[in-house]
Amino acid sequence: MNLLLGILQQMALAAVPAAGFGMLFNVPARVLWYCAAGGALGRGLRFALVEGAHLPVEWSTLLAAATVSLLGVAVAQRLRAHPKVFTVAAMIPMIPGVPLFKTLIAIAQIQQRGLSDALLSTAITQGLQALFIVAALAVGLAVPGLLFYRRRPVV
Amino acid sequence: METTTTGEPTPLTEPQQREATRLCVETGLILLQHGAESALVENLARRLALALGVPRAEVALLANAVVVTTLSEGHCITTVRRNEDRGINMHMVTEVQRAVLAAEAGALDLDGYRARLATIKPLRYPRWLTSVMVGLSCACFARLVGADWTSCAVALVAAGVAMAVRLQLVRLHFNPLVNFFVTAFVATSVAGQGAIYGIGDKPQVAMASCVLLLVPGYPLINSISDMVKGYINTGLARGMYAVLLSAGACAGILLAMSVWKVWVWL
Repeated sequence: MNLLLGILQQMALAAVPAAGFGMLFNVPARVLWYCAAGGALGRGLRFALVEGAHLPVEWSTLLAAATVSLLGVAVAQRLRAHPKVFTVAAMIPMIPGVPLFKTLIAIAQIQQRGLSDALLSTAITQGLQALFIVAALAVGLAVPGLLFYRRRPVV
Repeated sequence: METTTTGEPTPLTEPQQREATRLCVETGLILLQHGAESALVENLARRLALALGVPRAEVALLANAVVVTTLSEGHCITTVRRNEDRGINMHMVTEVQRAVLAAEAGALDLDGYRARLATIKPLRYPRWLTSVMVGLSCACFARLVGADWTSCAVALVAAGVAMAVRLQLVRLHFNPLVNFFVTAFVATSVAGQGAIYGIGDKPQVAMASCVLLLVPGYPLINSISDMVKGYINTGLARGMYAVLLSAGACAGILLAMSVWKVWVWL
């Protein structure tokens, strides 16, 4: 029950940034709803896989991104627009922004204060986490093209 | 398109081929300028060439240029356009794609496509609306990692103000790196007041969330997508640019933290 509530909360909180950043990317107004829906679905699914099925966060991200992308293909064909128009905005709630900035700040600190085990470990672990999650998002979004639309365009 | 009695399409004349080449390169350029991934740029430019009656077209993408060659009747025409980043605009990508689909369906010929392309103007949301929505987005990011409502409100204000600054700097044509540096400084400075005056229970979360509007998510995802699909050079260029933008933002955060003497990130 708690898990379900958690998923619903994550979905509601993820829908807003997906649509907000959709506006930043100048996604057409009617398509913003799909950004919000995709953002909610992706983040909710990832939360369910991490908390419910205890999968690692990178694999959960990959599965969530692939699911959103596969559903996005159907929407894209109806809208006559490339799925990336709205699926990238839907991935924004899952982008590892904090690890990315932590990596860069740790590197700046190493330069300023000298090398320490704690700083080096922060830089490397956070940097790898950011890299792996971004890669999972991008590969997940590419799944329809990699598996089904190999020799033909999606739209 | 006219056809001869044998059912074969009439070959394009040289001026027609030249015009088709220009339209292809313009199409590719608009897509690249507004943040489409390389596979989509190449795919649409080639499909457009075929739809306009050119038997064969090749597209090469560089980090900041598009090259299109069309081949017809044993003649090649090659043209290059320099690419300047215009900022991500999915409305432009959608409209250009629909124009190409219309050309493919036979609804647009050379003149029709040129006229259609000229009517496409970038959509821009009102700046205040984008600022409010991005502020709300960053407040949601804060809530997602468990901040209390007061800290979320701090993140909302800081991110909203920062977004307004960012859009103003875009309008004044500042270099994006300068823009990200200044915006990160503003966001961290505003949210830092929460830490100084003890507003909210988790000022550190507010300070981390309010700069998330500066994460170059689109270039990062495009970079990996490009490389996965074999466009290593554009992928590397986009990835490097995303890292540079993040570094600019990081410098702004560090400066603001030393000015206000609040240290929260590590």
